[in-house]
Amino acid sequence: MNLSFFDQFSSPSLLGIPLVLISTMFPALLIPSMDKRWVTNRLSTLQLWFINLVTKQLMSPLNNKGHKWALILTSLMIFLLLINLLGLLPYTFTPTTQLSMNLALAFPLWLATLLTGLRNQPSTSLGHLLPEGTPTLLIPALILIETTSLLIRPLALGVRLTANLTAGHLLIQLISTATVTLFSTMPAVSLLALLVLFLLTILEIAVAMIQAYVFVLLLSLYLQENV
Amino acid sequence: VLHTTRPLHTTQQSLAPVPPLPEKGGEVRHGLIPEEFFQFLYPKTGVTGPYMLGTGLLLYLLSKEIYVVNHETAAAACILTVIVYAIKKLGPEVAAFADKLNEEKVATAVAMKDEAIQTLQTAIEEEKKEQWRAEGRSYLFDAKRNNVAMLLETNYRERLLMVYSEVKKRLDYQVAMQTLKRQKEQDHMIQWVEKSVVQSITPQQQKESIAKCIVDLKALSKGAHAAV
Repeated sequence: MNLSFFDQFSSPSLLGIPLVLISTMFPALLIPSMDKRWVTNRLSTLQLWFINLVTKQLMSPLNNKGHKWALILTSLMIFLLLINLLGLLPYTFTPTTQLSMNLALAFPLWLATLLTGLRNQPSTSLGHLLPEGTPTLLIPALILIETTSLLIRPLALGVRLTANLTAGHLLIQLISTATVTLFSTMPAVSLLALLVLFLLTILEIAVAMIQAYVFVLLLSLYLQENV
Repeated sequence: VLHTTRPLHTTQQSLAPVPPLPEKGGEVRHGLIPEEFFQFLYPKTGVTGPYMLGTGLLLYLLSKEIYVVNHETAAAACILTVIVYAIKKLGPEVAAFADKLNEEKVATAVAMKDEAIQTLQTAIEEEKKEQWRAEGRSYLFDAKRNNVAMLLETNYRERLLMVYSEVKKRLDYQVAMQTLKRQKEQDHMIQWVEKSVVQSITPQQQKESIAKCIVDLKALSKGAHAAV
């Protein structure tokens, strides 16, 4: 298999059958379904504890109306976390490296928060365009700037996730290519590159988890403003 | 209405009874290969069978370039090192944590049950004590009755004493009156007798008695001088 650097980002297909749906839905298979027993086995207990932790963290700054978003935000978090972490394994396709998928996640959710705010409390959500305590002269400029910032949010959300993950994966590929190529000629340098690769892997694991968290956190922040 | 709040996956969705996840996973060797595989090969190839199979397979794939060593291999080596290290280091801790969570859950429920049992037992003992107390009622009533009787007796005696003293006072008064009366009569009679005697003494008698007294005195004085 001769892989170029960008083969990992192409949509996977086997004999012409697109496998992208399976690869996107695969993380759902890794989560055991709800157990009807009271005392569950270790995996279910840990999963329950983790989901409780995430939900509490996400939902504590929101008021009661925002708690309706608990299910979608928590499941989004788990989804992104698993996809990102699984993408670090070799020869795996990471769906979140595709800008299309990230924008498809970010745009509707952001739009939902915006429309919820504009529908239920229009003056309050429009009021967020002007931070408190600004000098009177700056008001027009600031409103334009804040509107731009508001409209850029979905793009920022999607592109942030895509860019972080794609860059990480590309870096891993490049440095591992360097390691392998240098192995025959300069083994010492190759070993150094291997060390760098090792550290990079640890960084990538952290980035995977953090990016998922940041995505969901920002969404909950936008929700907090608007609900 | 936000349909995202509709609860998903609350039931198994299949009508056949799906068994729940087992408490402990199956035995694996090297974290990947189930023990059953080794047991399967044991009768034919002994203990080293599966390892020989694995090594041979790996070497075959590498030498025939069915698996090509490329950059992904280096990346795979790194990520697998990290994963294995993390599992070996943190695995027992995480398992202990999960067990602790379960233990706490069970312990809370058991504590509640024990507390309920304890409360009920204390209630039973209290009830028994109350019943014992209720049995001693008759003694309590007897003591109270005795008290009351004593009070009545005391009261009666007091009143009796009062009656006695009052009657004595009245009788003393009568006695004193009589004594006084007799005394007065006596005094009066004495006075009357004296008065009449004094009145009966005529002046002639008075002179005679005085002359007689003087003669007597002279005679006595003579006798007295002689005695001295």
